[in-house]
Amino acid sequence: MNKEYDIIVVGAGFGGPVAAKLCADAGLKTLLIERSENVGDKVISGLTIPFYGFIFGPAFIRDGNPPFERPSDGIINYIIKDIENGIIDIDDSLRVPKPLSPIVAFGYNTYCKPFCQWEAKKAIQAGATLKTSTTVVDFIKEEGFIKGVITDKGEQIRSKIVIDAEGSQGLLAIKAGVREKYPPETISLADTYDYEMAKENIDKIFGYTVKMCWGWDEQKIAPPLGYGNGLMVWPYRNSLHFMQDQCLRTDQKIVPNLKKLFDEYHKNITSKLPWWKNLVAPRIKLRARMWEGFEIYVGLNSTLRNYPNYTNGMILIGDVAGLEGTELCDGVPAAWFSAEIAAEIAIKAIRANDTSKSFLSKYNEKIKKHPIIQWSISAKNRYNLRIAQREHDEEKLKKYIHDGWGLGSLTYFTTPFLRLAFLFIRDDPTILTKWMKMYFRYYQNWIYDFKTKTYQEKTHHRPLFKQSLFLTGLKLINLWVKLFSVFKKLYTKTLINLADNANSYLSKKLPKMEPRLLKLVSLMDPISEKLSKRLIEFVKKADPEIFKVPDYKRGAVHG
Amino acid sequence: MVRTSDKFPGVEWVEGTGDFIKINDEKCTGCANCIKVCLGSCFEIISQKAHIKSLETCMECASCWYVCVEGAINFNWPQGGTGYKSEWG
Ligand SMILES: Cc1cc2nc3c(=O)[nH]c(=O)nc-3n(C[C@H](O)[C@H](O)[C@H](O)COP(=O)(O)OP(=O)(O)OC[C@H]3O[C@@H](n4cnc5c(N)ncnc54)[C@H](O)[C@@H]3O)c2cc1C
Ligand code: SF4
Ligand code: SF4
Repeated sequence: MNKEYDIIVVGAGFGGPVAAKLCADAGLKTLLIERSENVGDKVISGLTIPFYGFIFGPAFIRDGNPPFERPSDGIINYIIKDIENGIIDIDDSLRVPKPLSPIVAFGYNTYCKPFCQWEAKKAIQAGATLKTSTTVVDFIKEEGFIKGVITDKGEQIRSKIVIDAEGSQGLLAIKAGVREKYPPETISLADTYDYEMAKENIDKIFGYTVKMCWGWDEQKIAPPLGYGNGLMVWPYRNSLHFMQDQCLRTDQKIVPNLKKLFDEYHKNITSKLPWWKNLVAPRIKLRARMWEGFEIYVGLNSTLRNYPNYTNGMILIGDVAGLEGTELCDGVPAAWFSAEIAAEIAIKAIRANDTSKSFLSKYNEKIKKHPIIQWSISAKNRYNLRIAQREHDEEKLKKYIHDGWGLGSLTYFTTPFLRLAFLFIRDDPTILTKWMKMYFRYYQNWIYDFKTKTYQEKTHHRPLFKQSLFLTGLKLINLWVKLFSVFKKLYTKTLINLADNANSYLSKKLPKMEPRLLKLVSLMDPISEKLSKRLIEFVKKADPEIFKVPDYKRGAVHG
Repeated sequence: MVRTSDKFPGVEWVEGTGDFIKINDEKCTGCANCIKVCLGSCFEIISQKAHIKSLETCMECASCWYVCVEGAINFNWPQGGTGYKSEWG
């Protein structure tokens, strides 16, 4: 039987279900198609989803209880100069300081499958239909328009618009003639190991910090071939995720023997890297090994970056649209942002009865204007780093690491971040308290034991008085911001101006400010520690209800 | 039917994928790029042409397809609901 939908979303990874949910929320008849048997079966990733994905992403994620493994409060970079003699420098300047950490996190580490499933369930609850075990193999094309999909079972399913969320390989987008195959030097193959480790040990050895390693080629730790790639280890709840990655082809068009190199490097890392060998290795058990490519340098190539991301009747989102970041290899926030924008434009197009390229081009305009997407796909520190590696230039290497994964990143990131933050505040002044509640709720989720369905540490709720005091505080903040929003036009302009100048201001001032800043943080340590404990106690004991956010209206579209 | 592999723990393969990766003999130059990047050891070279040894440990990463600049690899996804799956990705 040939059915007809308003929207078909192809792929239930990180981006697809968000687009499907928002379209269904708007009352559109929506179908979400996934080739795996269960949602998330085939999604392989790191993974830290950076905080900006949560605070600027879909409201249902921000205001909900998504499943994650552990908050992450920063990165510790190991710069490996001589592995045999243990000569390793450290840059751990990028870290959320106490008392904010770990409640205010830099990101959340998560397994893909439970997260994608959680998203897909939200799409179903909103009214979307999910069809798994179905590979889309082609499109129905009529008069130059995509009019639906053809599945591997030969079924033709029609729709007004197709949202393509198939992931980075883009087999369908290529088939539809929207874009071409990405060249191998823009793709990095990630060899991933999953290890079980007791939570107490992770708490002690990693805490909330992601570990990254960089170094000279001949150290055979990371990265192979001076190619700007590294080794990353993510702490999860009761496990570690280990990833070494390498581009499929060098700039000199050489395809490295990755099979041999990865094995050699893995052996070297696990037997020589001091913290791994001494602290981690005796306490872990290998649980899984798998690999997947990700698009590491697509955004740096202007031809690839400007490949079309829409055509008549179709919009591309997330990885298939080339939106993965070049530095943190983060693609989830951009998949969410683009899913929201695609849903917004698709809904408008269907309402206007115009699914043509020229209408859908509004999608591309918004993507090109999105400050965080554009920063993340065009950040160059990782790319430059490999040249420093090749040249054995230690000063440069350290600068790029500092600018990519240390405090120096503030000189690149602050402008896009503030710009978006101010726009969000302009559109919804109460967003500030929503963000606060999000962080508190997520912390409660972190101490919640999903297996036993109890909080890991005992919680007994605070006396009612303190809770209501807190709630009154939040209400006052909201009221104050709302009152202030009368002058919206005036202050947004000033603030945006401020945001636009932030990066250049910080580039000038940060080198001098940084040592003082870090000193101040360490001087504050004893007080911060105390404050942190009190804050954690408060969040732990608070009634989860107070961190909930009222349901947003059906049909609301953000972005 | 579901298979596992001692070499790669934590991953299962649902059978019935079909021949989702195919090599075009005429285009293949035997450059061995596909062999170098396939962590699942799915290829072998016989008389200077790549052949698929087995897709039993294929993780569907598409690296072979990316590095085959001759366009000799025809890459598709397996039949819906088949192929690799994992809880730990
Ligand atoms: C090793 C690795 C580490 C990463 N680390 C991070 C990180 O730390 N932080 C971060 O934010 N991001 C990270 N990423 C990137 C992130 O995983 C992606 O950007 C994100 O998954 C993109 O979402 P998406 O919806 O575009 O595609 P995906 O999540 O890849 O989803 C695509 C879905 O479509 C399905 N599909 C594909 N083709 C078809 C078809 N023809 N028919 C039906 N279904 C189909 C697939 O099975 C899949 O479920 C990492 C990626 C990798 C590979
Ligand atoms: S990469 Fe392509 S051309 Fe080279 S051996 Fe493999 S199939 Fe043949
Ligand atoms: S898709 Fe990946 S695992 Fe499968 S054959 Fe190609 S390179 Fe090997």
